Amino acid sequence: MGKWKIYTPEGVQDILFEDCFMKRNLEAKIRGLFRSYGYYEIETPTVEFYDAFAAESDLIPQETMFKFFDQQGRILVLRPDITIPVARVAATKYKDREYPLKSFYIGNTFKYNELGGGKQKEFTQAGVEVMCVSAPEADAEVIATAINAVKATGIESFQIDIGQVEFFKGLMEETGLSAQDIEQMRVLIDSKDYLGIEELVKSHNIADNLKELILSLPRLFGSIDVIEKVKKMTSNERSLAALENLKQILEILEDYGLSKYVSIDLGMVQSLNYYTGIIFRGFTYGIGFPILSGGRYDKLVEKFGKNCPATGFSLGINMIMMALDRQKIAVEKQGVDSLICYKREGRKTAFEVCQELREQGLVVEMDITMGSLEDVKKYAASKGIGGIIYIVDSENIEVHNLENGEMTATSIGELLNKR
Amino acid sequence: MRYLTIALSKGRLTDLSIELFEGVGIDCSELKSNSRKLILSDETNKIKFFLAKPSDVPTYVEYGAADIGIVGKDTLMEEGRNLYEVLNLGFAACRMCIAGPVELQGKLDQLNNKRVATKYPRIAREYFEHKRRESIEVIKLNGSVELAPLVGLSEVIVDLVESGRTLKENGLVVLDTIADISARMVVNRVSMKMESERINRIIDGIRKQLEKGREKQ
Repeated sequence: MGKWKIYTPEGVQDILFEDCFMKRNLEAKIRGLFRSYGYYEIETPTVEFYDAFAAESDLIPQETMFKFFDQQGRILVLRPDITIPVARVAATKYKDREYPLKSFYIGNTFKYNELGGGKQKEFTQAGVEVMCVSAPEADAEVIATAINAVKATGIESFQIDIGQVEFFKGLMEETGLSAQDIEQMRVLIDSKDYLGIEELVKSHNIADNLKELILSLPRLFGSIDVIEKVKKMTSNERSLAALENLKQILEILEDYGLSKYVSIDLGMVQSLNYYTGIIFRGFTYGIGFPILSGGRYDKLVEKFGKNCPATGFSLGINMIMMALDRQKIAVEKQGVDSLICYKREGRKTAFEVCQELREQGLVVEMDITMGSLEDVKKYAASKGIGGIIYIVDSENIEVHNLENGEMTATSIGELLNKR
Repeated sequence: MRYLTIALSKGRLTDLSIELFEGVGIDCSELKSNSRKLILSDETNKIKFFLAKPSDVPTYVEYGAADIGIVGKDTLMEEGRNLYEVLNLGFAACRMCIAGPVELQGKLDQLNNKRVATKYPRIAREYFEHKRRESIEVIKLNGSVELAPLVGLSEVIVDLVESGRTLKENGLVVLDTIADISARMVVNRVSMKMESERINRIIDGIRKQLEKGREKQ
């Protein structure tokens, strides 16, 4: 009976002391940063109706969601994403709020991901959403927030690639290809399959200059110069407007002083049913998957009943943790400053000292084993605690420095004033 | 400088891949030395190599355990990984085909229950379900797939066809071609961004070499 009881299911993990400390620290730093931008935190339920996510078949395929039923037989899911719940809230409970509606979240999400490379089935996402503003300033702020959030975690070398899906959509509209062919083209461009693109373009009757531009799409990445170069290659209004929008956003980021983190990729064409404008992803060394992704999604909130443009991003906390580990970036470790043990006569004093030191901001652990001083020392050494305060009675206190083995006798007044 | 890691498919693609990398100035001598080491390197260019089972190469590259991989298109189609497929290397060319007894020629859609024997269940499903919009029963085999229709295990097969000799000698014919197959160079999506300069230099070098090779022919 119960042969699985000591295991956890594949794709979910216990997060043990060191990692948990690091994760909470990261979350705290990111939370602090988001708050400092004026974003308000929101918490949505872990369990939602399947219907909320079903509308976005392109973004979240149904086979990737954890599903179950409620007592009335309705389909429930463990949320695979938090953007969609935030959009639901924006269109319902906050529909009459003054805009812009700026929210952020940090929470766990669930997907039947294939495992490995930092991917888990339960993973933590931190993200911001800006609702009801379509200006490029909103997109630029979201990207700037993303960049500064990554910096806050301690990662210094990373890159944000920005694309604009309208550019691709404009070109495809001009070719007159069927929806099916466009999807095939999207897949080919997304995988930079030059040969496949060439074959597909050749098999259709497409104007020469447009053909050339489509063929070069997978190579259209790099610095801001790409935009100027491409502008000369097309007269498609929808695509030109997309380029102009992208350029404006980059100019704003230039003033933010963040240009060095940003580069362009016009061949970035994922999730076209979802994204309606700029789209971006963040990369760093040491992990094979993006650490963050985002973009403009003007049609999502409308699915919940309110017409409202939106833009946002989300960051994978687990990916960040893996990147920090792989890049060997030092992170703060948790520790205990002192361990207090006492003899019966010193108990009251011990509690007073402990209280006082904690108020001074130290991490102080109280010995509750009542073992011998030797046992306590052994425990302290195993936990990396540097010193023991041994309270014999209200007058006599011994401070044992475990690093050099020295013992100094002191009094309560001396001990507390020294700090 | 960080190491770039290249995953090569063990088997018939290995020697041809080595030739290409040597052509762009990468030292593969350690790789050719029949060493028992699993990971070999070119210290001057800071490149590491390893050989892997072909069907594992896309996995290594998708997860970023390797930045670049050389692998057949058949494996890429079957594994369906999220990668950049940047170069068609042209070699190891063949076709992925549906084959069966000659009586089925042109009558594939009249067959109600199709049992398809193959080493490539995903490719078979994709083709029948998306291109032909027909449901099938896949029988996964690990070798000598041609045998299946002969002994009544399946009606048709999906397999790689090079010369077609095996099919012919067993009374089978190609009923349809699913895709042209050859070796491809794939790149991890993040590596392509973070190491774009070095990777693009390798890609361009190999591309030029391939073009030169084609001109000669």
